[in-house]
Amino acid sequence: MVKNKWPTRILIYAILLVFVLIAVYPVIRVASISLRPGDRLLSTSLALIPPDATLDNFRILFTERPFLRWVLNSTIVSFAVTLFGVALASTAGYIISRYKFVGRTTAMLSILTTQMFPATMLLLPMYIIISRLNLINTYVGLIVVYSATALPFCVWTMKGFYDTIPSSLEEAAMIDGCNRFQAFYKVVFPLASPALVITGLFSFISSWSEYLVAAQVLQDPVMYTLPLGLKQFQQSMSTEWGLYAAGALVVSIPVIGLFLFANRWLVGGLTLGGVKE
Amino acid sequence: MKRWLLPALLVLIGLTGVAQAAETPVEITLWHQFNYAERVVLEKQLEEFNRLHPEIKVTSLYRETEELRSGFQNSALAGRGPEMIHGPSDQVGPFAIMGIIKPLEGLFGEAERDSLNPQALVWFEDHLYQVADRFGNHLTLVYNKALVPEPPTTDLELIQIGQELTKDTDGDGKVDQFGLTWNFTEPFFFIPFLGGFGGWMIDDQNRPTLDTQANRDALQFVQDLRDKYKITPQNADYETAHTLFNEGKAGMIINGDWSWATYIENGIDIGVTRIPKITKTGLWPTPIVSPRGYSLNRNLKEEKLDATLTFIRFMLSYDQQKALAAQTGIMPARTALRDDPVISDNPIMTGSLEQIEVGKPMPVVPELRAIWDSMRPFYQAVLGGTITADEAATGMQKTAERKIAEMNTVIQPAPYVPVLYGIALLALVALLWFSRHSFGQFVRDARKRPFIYWMVVPAFVVIFLTVVYPFLYNVVLSMSNMGLRNFFDWDVVGFQNYGKVFLEPGFYGVLGKTIIWTSVNLVFHVGIGVFLALLLHRVLPGRGLIRMLLILPWAVPQYITALTWRGMFNTEYGAVNLIIAKYFSMPIVNWLGSPVEAFTACILTNIWLGFPFMMIVALGGLQSIPHQLYEAADIDGASPWQKFKNITYPLLKPVMTPSIILGTVWTFNNLNVIWLVSNAGEPSDQTHILVSFVYKSAFNLYRYGYAAAMSMVIFAILLVFGIFFLKRARAVEPVY
Repeated sequence: MVKNKWPTRILIYAILLVFVLIAVYPVIRVASISLRPGDRLLSTSLALIPPDATLDNFRILFTERPFLRWVLNSTIVSFAVTLFGVALASTAGYIISRYKFVGRTTAMLSILTTQMFPATMLLLPMYIIISRLNLINTYVGLIVVYSATALPFCVWTMKGFYDTIPSSLEEAAMIDGCNRFQAFYKVVFPLASPALVITGLFSFISSWSEYLVAAQVLQDPVMYTLPLGLKQFQQSMSTEWGLYAAGALVVSIPVIGLFLFANRWLVGGLTLGGVKE
Repeated sequence: MKRWLLPALLVLIGLTGVAQAAETPVEITLWHQFNYAERVVLEKQLEEFNRLHPEIKVTSLYRETEELRSGFQNSALAGRGPEMIHGPSDQVGPFAIMGIIKPLEGLFGEAERDSLNPQALVWFEDHLYQVADRFGNHLTLVYNKALVPEPPTTDLELIQIGQELTKDTDGDGKVDQFGLTWNFTEPFFFIPFLGGFGGWMIDDQNRPTLDTQANRDALQFVQDLRDKYKITPQNADYETAHTLFNEGKAGMIINGDWSWATYIENGIDIGVTRIPKITKTGLWPTPIVSPRGYSLNRNLKEEKLDATLTFIRFMLSYDQQKALAAQTGIMPARTALRDDPVISDNPIMTGSLEQIEVGKPMPVVPELRAIWDSMRPFYQAVLGGTITADEAATGMQKTAERKIAEMNTVIQPAPYVPVLYGIALLALVALLWFSRHSFGQFVRDARKRPFIYWMVVPAFVVIFLTVVYPFLYNVVLSMSNMGLRNFFDWDVVGFQNYGKVFLEPGFYGVLGKTIIWTSVNLVFHVGIGVFLALLLHRVLPGRGLIRMLLILPWAVPQYITALTWRGMFNTEYGAVNLIIAKYFSMPIVNWLGSPVEAFTACILTNIWLGFPFMMIVALGGLQSIPHQLYEAADIDGASPWQKFKNITYPLLKPVMTPSIILGTVWTFNNLNVIWLVSNAGEPSDQTHILVSFVYKSAFNLYRYGYAAAMSMVIFAILLVFGIFFLKRARAVEPVY
């Protein structure tokens, strides 16, 4: 952490302000679509609040469409993927960071390769295998596929983060009587909290917004997740833009909430400093 | 696992299936692409049907047109899928050729067929494959009665009325009201004029007929409406045209039946009439009329056939057809309804009917898709002013002929295919043989240190479980002739698909663009991300709020933000141009109309979408750097740059490396942003990267073997990159 003098601070704030404006402006445009009646994606005016602004789209979203059902479904799937993914990645990443074992390099490289094939082409065989396993219309199928897609990033990121934590910490813990697993989860695991937040957020957001696989696996409207639900508003050339925009905004609130909740472990939580090399 | 467990489980699953089948109603499923108004009607109709037929339970599932098509293909290929689908007639030809829908002529009697408009019965190669219950998608002239009291009936009147309306109403020097507008980017909207000048895009032998005088005249006419008579805006895609009319800034629009309800809802008093007659030929323009209706899945089980037919007959009944027309304004297929007041007393419905009378039916052959793809780039180029109508007509014809040939080619197995199997077998044996020592070591190591393997193996099992089969499937597919005409019974044919990939003239240019796309995006993602993380790592009041606002681009669903960016890049009304003109006094840019600018627009959008992710990763990475290191450096009198170079950079690297590698891979294969911002490669297919190119030029034209081969090439490129990068970054090794 660095403290600054005032002139530097003003400069920093000015720079941050520019980026915040750039980040926020398009989102405000989305908000103004959600306030427009009559499904108007574009407008020839730059006014952010349309003259005939209405909250009707939000009302319809919650009262006339099964939006809350989609939220519930997506929450189940995303939390399952996040827990499952983070649990597997945090352990696997740790071992890869600390131990040399047979097949380590091959394994690390090969999980990266699973991300390299264009996803569109994988859909058909994936559908075939999921339907053979009778997992069509189940969340199990979806959760396994989502975890598998999120894991390569999570494993690598955890491994990279563990690499920056000196192994002398566990050695000290083991001298104090911890076994290897305890040394991992009592000492190293809490220190890796920023990486847990990154991988957790990543797993959550990617399953929260995934559409292609969900469209293959889920064929019962009651089971629809949010992206599938929002897609219902979209028809070729007659999309319900107002609802879509309103839905998109509401959908991002849990993500922001999760981020705010996880913030203290991402930054300014436990910091390293226990070891001097 | 015990040996008996798996069969036992299967038996168990089988038994529960049998137990359920008894006594429950027959369940049938309908996949459709109804718009929302139609869906509301369908809900009511299903209730009514359920009351009349409690022994049948119908489940309906909405899917957007293209996804209905691909979803149905996939599920039919896997031996499943809904009992029936409801969709536009142009999917009938491809489905029939693939063999995934059933002939219906034996199921619907003559009397039944005669009660419907003949165009509602969709025949293909002497079989009836679709029975439509509604018509639609035909374009008409829609006019705003407040601006156009009396609609034009000829092109001359159209131009005259248009010129009166096109003006600058607020005196700022910019035209802000137009006579006429419509979607300039899609040839579907051009077809009426092609017909009006006496041409058509396809003959009865399914050959393209684009190199004609009629096509030249029609292209010239459309261009003249904008450039010579100046009655249309400079640039209008579907949403822009729709918005102008919706806001009362255009007197007339050429648009289809799906749009009328929106205009009425927005308080515009509309009239619907024929697109005006072309004086030169004396012909009415001929929009495409597309019936939409039911087809049956080839996997439909015999015992469910009756229930399915009962449902279709119910939907075709007079009362249901009338309800549809009354509540949606969509034209029903039953002829008797024409004299029903629900149609005859509704001026919009009669206007629609008049237009249908001069329209032409949608060709149902698969060749049409190749023709659309060939017309689109040239049509856009004419309107972009880069080629003449004459060059476009010739170019369209040539490209269409080539694409149709490619689509219909069935590659014959090469003589070396048996050898190929032999080589594959040998390679497998050799691989096993040479890796036997590693395997042995692996097993011994796993026995000796079970802790390690228990922690690692689950993650890898999950990853490979889902990827191995699909990947191997694609490897085989890439050497096969799977395509439109070999959808079920394809063969391994050899390496011909790979040969075609490397001989494809467009391939290298697109590869170059992909590399530019990937590297520019990554540099900015990582650069901005790390820069912001460094700023936010300082002690600053309010940084929590700033952080939250900065992750918004990651948190809001991409689909809507990408389209919002597309809107912001609009030449006349987009925020980007208004800002650069107002605050930076720079000339405005035609973002989406020219190739380089459109590609830049895609990149800018993607940079916006991607930097928050890198920022979060960098923020997390900065936490792992002990601040004692900085304090020690301060004591040594190190400059900020030295501190960054010697402390921040080496300790941030291990955390950032995986994100950079995977970020590269994801960006390389990012179909969405290109697809949404440039509207699938506009202008003229000049903004493609490899994945969108595969999708558009291969996958879309049913060339699955070829698409798989291209995907393998993409995979190989990324694999080489990944290995090279990891070697350079030494990412597998620890830092301390």
